[in-house]
Amino acid sequence: MPDTLNRLLAGLPSAEPHPARAAQTHARCRAHLERQIRSTARETAQASRVAQVWQPLAAVLGVAYLTEAIVEALRFVGPF
Amino acid sequence: MSRSPLSRVSTAVDRDSELALVERLRQGNGEAFDEVYAAFNTRVFTFLVRLSRRRDVAEDLLEETWLRLVKHARRLRPDTRLGPWLFTVARNLHVTYRRSRMLEDSAAASLMALWPFSVERSSPFDEAAATELERRIERALAAMPVAAREVLLLVGVAGLDPSDAADVCGITPEALRQRLHRARAALSKALENDATIEAPATEGVPSCQTP
Repeated sequence: MPDTLNRLLAGLPSAEPHPARAAQTHARCRAHLERQIRSTARETAQASRVAQVWQPLAAVLGVAYLTEAIVEALRFVGPF
Repeated sequence: MSRSPLSRVSTAVDRDSELALVERLRQGNGEAFDEVYAAFNTRVFTFLVRLSRRRDVAEDLLEETWLRLVKHARRLRPDTRLGPWLFTVARNLHVTYRRSRMLEDSAAASLMALWPFSVERSSPFDEAAATELERRIERALAAMPVAAREVLLLVGVAGLDPSDAADVCGITPEALRQRLHRARAALSKALENDATIEAPATEGVPSCQTP
């Protein structure tokens, strides 16, 4: 009996949503995906711009700090 | 309404292709979405229309299911199984819809009692069913409690593995097995009763018990 019932259930017809509604749903989802891609691209570009500014700035500050530290150390112990 | 029976979900997309598809979906690939949509749209809609017994509701829930997929696409786990994921979302949306309907119904019950016509709905498949047997199955399915109907639809009609169907319903595989067993028994009984009432002495009417 379960086999027969399974066959009957599996053989039932399928249903399709109204074509206009299906097209509308599909278009909404695609638009959402495209918005997501654009927003991801924007975020990546922003992160990249921030990295472009901050990395050299941090390097310059680091070098300046190190130079100053060396100068101070030499002034303290050195011949100056 | 398509006459071709639904193919099994497990064979709709093989596992390797599915993993690749999920990866592309996570990257927001539109073509990947088209493939998933083509593979599952009819199946999920068929499930929803039989579960809700209303085309308009099923269309709304289907749209929301797909929107949930695209909204969560980036956060999908790489090993996501798309069929069970989509059916879980669709089922949960239907549960939420039923809860809101129950609240509305309880508020409107006294008013509806004054309405002169019956508000009982038959399944939208009733008119389209080609054979008397299919009509009887649709009627019997539509009359079943939702908990029983959903397991029959997931396993029997949509072709999910029982373990996947258990995940979709949020119950253990053992609980699903028992629920499925009871649902099948109830469906068989409903079909037998329906046949007895409609054609007590008719010959040649296919019985659900004879393959």
